[in-house]
Amino acid sequence: MTTERVPAVADLFSEAGGVAHLHGSRCATCATPYFPRSGLCHNPDCSESAMEDAEFGPAGTLWSTSVQNYPPPPPARYDEPYEPYAVGVVDLDDGLRVVGRMAVADPTAVRIGTRVQIVVGPIAHEEDGTELVSWMFRPTDEGAD
Amino acid sequence: MRDVAVLGVGMHAWGKFPDKSVTELCRDAVSAALADAGVAWRDVEAVAAASSRFSGGKGWGLNGNDVVEDMGSTGIPVYNMSAGCAAGGNAFNVGYALVAGGMHDMVVVVGGEKMPKGFIQTSGVEEETDPEFLRQRCVGMPGPAFWALLCRQRMAEFGTTEEQLAKIAVKAHEVGTHNEYARFRQLFTVEDVLGSALVSDPLRLYEICPVSDGAAAAVICSAEKARQLTTHPVWVAGSAVATARFDDGLPRGLAGTVPTGRAHHSEAALAVGKALDQAGVAPEDLDLVELQDNTVYYELAFPEDWGMCKPGEAEHLLEAGETLPTGRMPINPSGGFLCFGEATTAMGVFQVCELTWQLRGAAGPRQVPDAQVGLAQTLGLGGNGTALVLKR
Repeated sequence: MTTERVPAVADLFSEAGGVAHLHGSRCATCATPYFPRSGLCHNPDCSESAMEDAEFGPAGTLWSTSVQNYPPPPPARYDEPYEPYAVGVVDLDDGLRVVGRMAVADPTAVRIGTRVQIVVGPIAHEEDGTELVSWMFRPTDEGAD
Repeated sequence: MRDVAVLGVGMHAWGKFPDKSVTELCRDAVSAALADAGVAWRDVEAVAAASSRFSGGKGWGLNGNDVVEDMGSTGIPVYNMSAGCAAGGNAFNVGYALVAGGMHDMVVVVGGEKMPKGFIQTSGVEEETDPEFLRQRCVGMPGPAFWALLCRQRMAEFGTTEEQLAKIAVKAHEVGTHNEYARFRQLFTVEDVLGSALVSDPLRLYEICPVSDGAAAAVICSAEKARQLTTHPVWVAGSAVATARFDDGLPRGLAGTVPTGRAHHSEAALAVGKALDQAGVAPEDLDLVELQDNTVYYELAFPEDWGMCKPGEAEHLLEAGETLPTGRMPINPSGGFLCFGEATTAMGVFQVCELTWQLRGAAGPRQVPDAQVGLAQTLGLGGNGTALVLKR
């Protein structure tokens, strides 16, 4: 039996072959990346907004990390009983700095500067067992879990 | 532009006051400020108020209207300023502009707040077009996690230790214990702080400001009025508001561009830079700073961002006691947000009160010796930043 997976918010990411991509935009004029998609380039130094759909990821470097030690207020989602999870900020190789949860077994063992890949994983479960999924960062360095 | 003076300031104590309305808190603060200024409510020509999302204001952030109705409806104009946690600083800037621009001679600036329990939801907007909604639903990283990410990055870059973070909280309570308006006046040891619960690793409960109720007010006036009414005015040497730059590198929504330089709060740096320029004061010449210490991290990062010391130097200044009122870079002699708790929209006005008392030499055991010039700074959701420089 396969568990049904539902994105926390639709149309933000896709997965294939174990890795994920984020669905955003890039300005054809100034190359500024946007996630989620943007209808306008917000760069004040850009001469002309020219937004095109773009995919970002999967590889990047962890800029910083922390642990969400207490249950976050709504609209965040989590399973009971609450288990602290790691969050991270990743500088993707394609120029996007993006936030997300870490896909790690031990939230305290994450190292800044580690190489990561974007994956899709569960952030919470509905009562019927449906997985609510989002993008996450999984360390890929040797020795990482 | 005309010179502007702070003629009087007043506060209600910070704490939890379930039996009082926010308007009652503001009444105490405004009455105290008027008494301190030696003027009557009838003399006030306009009100610049911080808009609250949490209390009073008829649900529309009309907190200045509540104050005017309560103090007496004289028909004066009211400006309700909304800028997240920067609303108090924003209201001060508008009040300043009204007097400096010659529109009014005497203006009351007021901020009051009654906060809900616990950690607050950042935006409260439940729409998939709202970046804060997406960030919380898809990831789940409220304010303290954001601060913790910045702090961890600093620790990786400069080797900041958890003991040093704890020492900032210890220092805050060492000075805040002398402030009768502060809510948390107990003294802590480094061990106490390191023994408090982790909120967002590495930040602990005593290293993050909780939320409080409180209110503060200031009476500001033209130089001409000030000379008639007092022999020891405090002058507004600079007042500025800014918003975040596109390229500042902080992970504010879901994503941004990897920056070319160090990530920083550009809204705060821009406002501080403008206010210092107006005042003609170099950052290293400030006698004291009241900065928005939602968490201990900002006591390290902000002085560097603003040129008060070199990157990586803040830890050494802390360890050497230089951030105490008696040091060469006094930070938050009031006890700051850590000792008061954040009554969000009142904080910018609370800082005006502290600077004024310090510049008058009336701050008692937490007095910065011979304080001549001080800076205050706030920042709020939406990339709002404010700064002001007061001089005696």
